[in-house]
Amino acid sequence: MKTRREVLQGLIVSIGGASLLNACGGVARVVPSSSMRFYTEQELALVSRVSDLIIPRTDTPGALDVNVPGFLDSLMTEWANQETKQSHHEELEELARMLGGDFVTLSPDASEQRLVLLDGEAFDGRPIHYSGYRSLKGLITQAYFASEDGALQEQKWVAVPGRWDPCIEIQ
Amino acid sequence: MTDFDAIVVGSGMSGGWSAKELCERGLRVAVLERGPEIKPERDYVDQLPPWEQKNLDRISQDEIARHYYKQYPGVAYAVKESNKHFWVKDDEHPYETVDGTEYDWLRGYHTAGRSIMWSRQTYRMGPQDFTANKEENIGTDWPVRYDEIAPWYDYVERFAGIAGNRDGLKQLPDGEFQPAFELTCAEKEFKARVETAFPGRNVIQARVAHLTDVTDEQRALGRTNCQSRNRCHFGCSFKAYFSSLHATLPAAERTGNLTIVHNAIVQSIEYDAETNRVTGVRVVDAENNEHRFYSSRLVFLNASAIASALILLQSKTSAFPNGLANTSDQVGRNLMDHVSGAGANGLIQGFENKTVFGRRPGGIYIPRYANITEHDKPYKRGFGYQGGATPLGHANGQSPGIGRAFKEAHGAPGPWRVSIGAFGEQLPNPDNRVTLHPTKIDKWGNPLALFNVTYSENERVMLEEARKDAVAMLEAAGCTEINSSPVNLTVPGNRIHEMGSARMGRDPTTSVLNGWCQTHEVPNLFVTDGSFMASSACQNPSLSYMAFSARGVKYAVDLLEEKVI
Repeated sequence: MKTRREVLQGLIVSIGGASLLNACGGVARVVPSSSMRFYTEQELALVSRVSDLIIPRTDTPGALDVNVPGFLDSLMTEWANQETKQSHHEELEELARMLGGDFVTLSPDASEQRLVLLDGEAFDGRPIHYSGYRSLKGLITQAYFASEDGALQEQKWVAVPGRWDPCIEIQ
Repeated sequence: MTDFDAIVVGSGMSGGWSAKELCERGLRVAVLERGPEIKPERDYVDQLPPWEQKNLDRISQDEIARHYYKQYPGVAYAVKESNKHFWVKDDEHPYETVDGTEYDWLRGYHTAGRSIMWSRQTYRMGPQDFTANKEENIGTDWPVRYDEIAPWYDYVERFAGIAGNRDGLKQLPDGEFQPAFELTCAEKEFKARVETAFPGRNVIQARVAHLTDVTDEQRALGRTNCQSRNRCHFGCSFKAYFSSLHATLPAAERTGNLTIVHNAIVQSIEYDAETNRVTGVRVVDAENNEHRFYSSRLVFLNASAIASALILLQSKTSAFPNGLANTSDQVGRNLMDHVSGAGANGLIQGFENKTVFGRRPGGIYIPRYANITEHDKPYKRGFGYQGGATPLGHANGQSPGIGRAFKEAHGAPGPWRVSIGAFGEQLPNPDNRVTLHPTKIDKWGNPLALFNVTYSENERVMLEEARKDAVAMLEAAGCTEINSSPVNLTVPGNRIHEMGSARMGRDPTTSVLNGWCQTHEVPNLFVTDGSFMASSACQNPSLSYMAFSARGVKYAVDLLEEKVI
């Protein structure tokens, strides 16, 4: 049986190029392979760009390096029921509309500016709105930190802490 | 000669104790477990890292709708893709509720039952819990007082291993503890402020069934100290938390006297009217529907408060047309749980440059103060709070910002949040009951459980007050952004503390068991799971089941040796 990591590596290869599309990588252009089981080409481009902007590659791998879009494609295919699938499609459609039709072809800086605006409104303290965006952001974040690189490198997750230290001074 | 000296029905929290104690007294014991065998090396998934968990460890929504439509909504925090085999499939193990009522019957059918899935908070009942029924003329008087059960609490705590602090509280007696998990700095501050503002209240370390200073006896069973992984709901390869699987059953097994029979669903207990003794149990094999009979000199029911009641009700004879040992008509009645659905959370300032390491079990506990140190309450009995104050962390992406700053913020502890939630006592009420469904049967031919359980005004008023008290304590502690949802009482059964369905009492006409968990009517039949509880108290009950099981076995085997039974 393949481990999740092997499956992910396979997916990264299969969606060709997505892993290179970090924020420093220039124009976002994703060529989804036929192995995408849920996302359309346009949806994959949008999810990839948003993932990359929310969790870019820094000195640790980013959302595209760990193939968050491929992970979410699997999640929607295997976990979601028909109703959730439908609402996820609709949420992406709404998000695409809010971000503008040209969002995925904008320069990284320009697309970042648009997403910063939208994110600011989504988390401006009013009761939850922009629920589609918030839900996608939640999924991207969870998928990233559930990846091996996200968990180990970024979050410094320790499988067996071995002790409980209730109060550590942060340096 | 009987097949066995004793039969224990159920291998969970209390059945493991019955088995251990009976085996150690030299009896040949059969434990009948209705589910399959759990093999840790095959069935535990506690070592699975996040990236090897399928779909964020979520069970697919269609599968939930097909198989886990009660279990998953009831215990979503613990029922995951990787450990779903610990939980029953609702479509295979259905039950019914009376129109207009709800019940959560949340279960695991396998070796060690729910002792491998429990949340491990472990408290003694206090002196007041054994006298409240009598003082308030509610239910039946417990035929036992705290001082009689205290040595048995000592006994089971030493073997099980409980991490806790000796807090010196009368209503929540101290025990034979291993070192507690230390409070976080924010919890210490919260404790100081709450105890100053409310002198009758205490904030203490949760007491949990985890090893922190393993004893030689525990080490001999292969158990080790808790590693602070917070993977308990997936099993524990370190055997650090108490379960039948890693503590009582192995102890029983090493005597050479134990036989565990899996997939053995008990349908009825055989009764001989001439001798007024039970003679054994009838089982149906879960896998091939074959019927078998096992004879024994003693029967201990440890199938859980619900299943034990059902077995008694199914065991009808001309001497007991209403179900075995049920002339009182109390079997299946007085079904209780704890009630939650009230609490509060808020941010606590001053710890932004602090964090924690490790993932401990438990957090804080606020023992009952209502009608203990404070007597101005518009309700009877009381509640305790479970909770904690920990860094909020990354909140699954539900925080503002994108890019490097957002990503790196997840490495920081973020603000610290205090959260507390009430666990309240449910009063015994004979109308709250489980009965045999008059027409519907499961695939083994056993009548389905039919529940009719509702809360009373006392629980509703109590939880409203618990919510207000929670907010007041957070305010007194200087918390900000305090959230407290309107009270939304948990569905009966949801706390998975079902109890009371064969209550003990002094009068055989109003109770099923005497103070030794022996049925009033049939001397060689004992029930030592949660069925015996004459009231629910508000503490998590497992430790009491353990103590009463061990005490009941001593009494039973003494009688057997004296040839009284």
